[in-house]
Amino acid sequence: MEKLSAKSDPIYLGEAIVKKALAVMIQHNLVKFQASERNNNVAEYSMMHHNVYCLIRYPKYLYMIKRIYGTSEEILLEILLNLGQASASNVIFHSANRLNEANDSEVLSPSALHQSFQRLAQDNFIIRCPKLAENATLLKVPTLEIEEKEKFAVPNVEIEPIARMLKEKATQLGGHCDSEIIWRVNHERFDIELRNVILVNAAARRVDTTAGELYHLILKLWRESSNPDSPATTPVSYNVIKDAVRKNDSSPILLEHFDHYLRVLHEDSAGLIDKPGDAGGGQFNLDYSKVFENLACASLDSIVLERFGSKALRLFRLTRIQKFMEQDQMQNVAMIPAKEAKMFTYKLLEHNFLQIKELKKGTSNFAPVKSFILYHVDLPQVVRTVLEASYKGLFNAMVRQMHDLTENKRLLEKHAMLESMLERLKGDDGVPEEEIAELSDTMHPAEKSLVEKIHLMSDNLTLGQTQADETILILESYLKFKSKEL
Amino acid sequence: MGGRGRGRGNAVSFNIEQLGFGRGEAGPVSVTQPPPLFPSLENRPLPLIKDVENEYILVTQKDLSTRMRNSPFYLKKSEKINSPSYEKELPVLWNRMPAELRETLPKRIATGNSKVTLNAKKKKVEDPDKIFAKLEKKERNESEVEEDGDGKEDEDDQDKSDDEKVENEDDVKEDLDDEMDDDTDYANNYFENGEAYLEDEEGQDDGEAQF
Repeated sequence: MEKLSAKSDPIYLGEAIVKKALAVMIQHNLVKFQASERNNNVAEYSMMHHNVYCLIRYPKYLYMIKRIYGTSEEILLEILLNLGQASASNVIFHSANRLNEANDSEVLSPSALHQSFQRLAQDNFIIRCPKLAENATLLKVPTLEIEEKEKFAVPNVEIEPIARMLKEKATQLGGHCDSEIIWRVNHERFDIELRNVILVNAAARRVDTTAGELYHLILKLWRESSNPDSPATTPVSYNVIKDAVRKNDSSPILLEHFDHYLRVLHEDSAGLIDKPGDAGGGQFNLDYSKVFENLACASLDSIVLERFGSKALRLFRLTRIQKFMEQDQMQNVAMIPAKEAKMFTYKLLEHNFLQIKELKKGTSNFAPVKSFILYHVDLPQVVRTVLEASYKGLFNAMVRQMHDLTENKRLLEKHAMLESMLERLKGDDGVPEEEIAELSDTMHPAEKSLVEKIHLMSDNLTLGQTQADETILILESYLKFKSKEL
Repeated sequence: MGGRGRGRGNAVSFNIEQLGFGRGEAGPVSVTQPPPLFPSLENRPLPLIKDVENEYILVTQKDLSTRMRNSPFYLKKSEKINSPSYEKELPVLWNRMPAELRETLPKRIATGNSKVTLNAKKKKVEDPDKIFAKLEKKERNESEVEEDGDGKEDEDDQDKSDDEKVENEDDVKEDLDDEMDDDTDYANNYFENGEAYLEDEEGQDDGEAQF
């Protein structure tokens, strides 16, 4: 983490801009500051890498919240993402405004939104920012602190003033009682949730959707009982799971065959459920490092498959499972002709999917020195290589998208203006058809098709980025849990 | 020269077969130029997954980025030479930020006490209470004291003591309005005189190495 004191190049950008930029980044949880050790009046700024990276995941966060809760929570989260850090009343106020704009018929009351806010806080999706220490206003660099138990406590929000402001159609909420209690989005919790989604999807794909449901329930139980930083969850007994299944209104199939599903998930080689003991009908837990190792290997396998072909994949999997192999052994066990085997081995080696280990054979003084060449897969290293490649791919997609959009900025803006004008005209009836047709003709059809193409490409690049992000999540989780177990 | 066997001297240390090609065949082709910047793609990548979730993500991403771009948080490099107080424009929680970010004018060396005696009103956005208190004081001052200069000086002193906590190393804060009145604003700010540059360097001595 690099620390910058004050600003290092004000002449180039202009000091005012640099200050504003820092303020905006701090507001959005991308940069943090602390008083420098040598001089209390100077702040040192450091960047929070993970939060900057998570910017790309914001749409996923919204999707998850929408699926778990509903529209009002989704809007609350969106407002909070837009503002960076805000007090509860502010968020509720702006959300009510946004909902009213979008949906004239239904008017959501601020108290309903307040309850949604509480729900989000209870499940730790939003977290309180540290508050100003008592003498902070006197210091040039304020100190911020927070206690553990206060992190998710929602203050009392006065609904009255909010409702009044809404009626007056104000754009800003004035001073309010909880303006010192500031909230932000809780990235760690969302990361856990994203990981859980991957696991549940894995369970659903391996077995079926009911198994996915069961796994989702069990994940919730584990999350409630264990420490999120530990590499394995605390075991949960069979009876507890059974109770939870019954309490939650799951599908009838699950209730009936819950035993079987549990056993199938346990015996499946992906390691989704581990059984460390038999007390209470069976103790079940989840070993994150094992599961993510399997997931990472599966990702690597599909990457090798797509890039080099199925023969290379056979060689790769073989080597991974057998740990160390010689070239001859590889081509015999994999049943691939010698020349091809050699070619694929070399290709995998070149791209760092395979690693070489040389062992010298004991030799007599007369014979030339022979050595064994063994191939093996050093999983952490391969994962790191692929992770770098994923980051590069993500970066390329973003750069290309930015390039496309800025190059054709004029054209895209013109198109956007045209669209909005057309919509407005269509809104008022009594505008003759010819006018509309004429307006559409101001843009040449070739231009229109170009705009279409640009939009399509930009969409594809966004999708590509999202999918690259998923791979990155799996690989990063693997590395994280691997380092924890050691 | 490695690779000399002992004894007979003809054998080399590696078996030629191990390299993967026999005696008769030619060796690998020598490389004459760097590999191409965009090597041809041998296998076409799989198509992108387009399901409900990804559709939603597409729409939301566009929505979020448009909102951000239109929000006051999106900073453009403005041509304005003297930007007025930006505390009101940027909806940032200012009381949680270091004081140095709240200042809007570049630091200036105390050019002399002449400026102090003029209307050095503080242009910080203060609490409404404080503003009311100030206005009340002003009213009282105006009614009591005839001379403008004295009354305002008193006020200035009081203001300064109130706002000392928010001041920077420089005790003198010039007021933007003041400059405008004098009609010298533009000239002062247009050319970045070396003073500000040097001053910054001094300040940075306190910190760590710059990156």
